[in-house]
Amino acid sequence: MVMNTQERLKIFLEEIEEHNKSGNRINAILEINPNVMEEAKKIDEKIKKGKAGKLAGKIISVKAVINVLGLHASCGSKTLEDYKSSYDATVIEKIKKEDGLIIGIANCDEFACGWSGETSAFGATNNPQALGYVAGGSSSGSCASVSADFCDMSLGTDTGGSIRVPASHCGVVGLKPSYASVSRYGLIDMSMSLDQIGPIAKNVSDTALLFDVIVGKDERDAISLGSKIDIKEIESIPRDIKIGVLDFQIKDSRIQKLIDEKIEEAVKKYKWKVEKIKLDYIDFAVATYFPIVYNEFFSATRKFDGRRFGKRIEEVCGPEVLRRIIGGSEMSKAEHAGRYYHLALKARKLIEDEFKKTFKKFDCIICPTVPRLPHLIGEKISIEEMFQYDALTSPINLSGDCAISIPVGMVDKIPIGMQIICEKFQEQKLFKIARSFERLD
Amino acid sequence: MDFLWHQMSEKEKEEVKKQVNSIIDSFSKKLSSIKEKIDEQFIEREKFERDEEGNASEIKKEIMFENAPESNKDFIITEKKRW
Repeated sequence: MVMNTQERLKIFLEEIEEHNKSGNRINAILEINPNVMEEAKKIDEKIKKGKAGKLAGKIISVKAVINVLGLHASCGSKTLEDYKSSYDATVIEKIKKEDGLIIGIANCDEFACGWSGETSAFGATNNPQALGYVAGGSSSGSCASVSADFCDMSLGTDTGGSIRVPASHCGVVGLKPSYASVSRYGLIDMSMSLDQIGPIAKNVSDTALLFDVIVGKDERDAISLGSKIDIKEIESIPRDIKIGVLDFQIKDSRIQKLIDEKIEEAVKKYKWKVEKIKLDYIDFAVATYFPIVYNEFFSATRKFDGRRFGKRIEEVCGPEVLRRIIGGSEMSKAEHAGRYYHLALKARKLIEDEFKKTFKKFDCIICPTVPRLPHLIGEKISIEEMFQYDALTSPINLSGDCAISIPVGMVDKIPIGMQIICEKFQEQKLFKIARSFERLD
Repeated sequence: MDFLWHQMSEKEKEEVKKQVNSIIDSFSKKLSSIKEKIDEQFIEREKFERDEEGNASEIKKEIMFENAPESNKDFIITEKKRW
C-alpha cells in the first residue's frame, strides 16, 4: 500500500523522536517545523486532486544557514541562536511551490566553518552509518538526517566540500552544483565567491529531482546564471564517455582500490574509455582555498555586531570561527604586500584553467570524495590533517565546476564516496554518469 | 587539536591568534612557490544596480522586530549607548 505524505511524515517524526536527541543521538535536527502536519495535510489534498507539484510527498530538511520563514536560521551558532527567519530563501520558495514539505532545520558546523560537524554550538552530529565517528561537515545534519531516515532529502551548502564530504561519510548522494547555477538569495554566506546551495538524497534520481526544482537564474542573486536538466534523460546510459582518473597520493590505499574497482566495472559494462591523469595545481588547492575563505568570511561576519539582531560574533563563537575571522582580519591588514588574498586569486585562476583544459579531453574526472576515513568525535587531530578532508573537493569550488559524491562501498564498515566532476553547467552529463554507476549495484 | 565547539577563555583566544599567523604564512609560502605568471583578472557586468521590489509583509516586520535586541513601536534601536 502506498502511504500518503502525512503517514510518511509520522514515521520520520517517530524516528527523529527516537534517535535524534536520545537513542543513537544523531543530533542532525535542530528544530522541527511546528506547522509540518498541517502542511502535509494540504499537500495530500492537492495530490488527491491531481494538482500537486514535482516534489509532492517528498520530505526535506534544510541546513541552518538557509532562511525558512518562521524557523530559526541559527547557522549552528550562539550568535544567531534566537534569530528567526523573516523570509524564505529563493530555494525554499521553489521547494514550497512544488509542494516539497520542510520537516525542519538541520544541524551544521558553526557558520558552515568546519569539516567534521564538530564545530556546531549545538553539539556534534553523529554518523548514522558509523556511530561515534564524525558525520563530516559542514552540512553534517543535512547528510545525517537523510542517512538516518529522518527525511527523504535535504538542502546543504558546499563551499569547499561541505555537501560532498558528509555525503561520502554518511553513505548518501550529494551534489555541489556549478557556481551560479542555484540562487544564493536567502543564504547566510560563508565565502561568497565559493558558496553553492545543493541537494542531498538517498539516490541520484532524487538528488536530480531536487536540483531540477532549485536550479535557475534569480534576479535577486547578482551572480546567478541558472542551468537546466532533463530529469527523464538521466536514466539513459551515456555512450562514448572518457573518464580521467585522478592520480593522487592517498595514504589509505583501500579507498582508492574501491574507486578503481567501480570504474573498472563501469568501463567493462558500458565500454567507456579511461585514462589516469595528473593535475599539477591540485596540491595548491588548500593553500589557495583558505586565504579566500578567511578573507570573505571576515567580511561576511562584520554584520554580526549584535546591533540589529543576534549577538556579537567574536564574543560567543567557537575556536574555528574565531580562527577564520582573525585570519581574514590579519590578512586584510597585511594585504598591501599582496602576499595572501591576491596570491590566492592568481592561483585560483591556474586551477580553473587546468580543469578547463582537462575537460577538453575528458567527459569527467573521478577520484575519492575524501582521501581519508572520518575520525572519532572529539578525537584530537592536527589542523593539517583536518585540511586533508577538503583536499579533493575544494579544487572544484575554486574552478566553479560541478561535482557529485555517490556511495561506492565500505572500508572498516564506514561508507566511502566516489566523486565525479564535470565541467561547469554540465549537470545533465554528471547525473547521467552518476546514475550509470548507481545502476551497477 | 580539539575541534569540538566550546567557549574560549581569553588565553585561548590569544593562542588562536598566534596559531593563525603561522597558518596564513604557511599558505603564503606555498603559493609563492608558483612560478607561472598570471594576468590580472577583471569581471565585467552589464548592470551594476538592481531595484528592490515589493513591500515587507506584516509577518516579516513582526519577526524582524522580534529578532532585534532593542526596538520601540516603529523602529529598531541599533546604536543607543553602543558608541
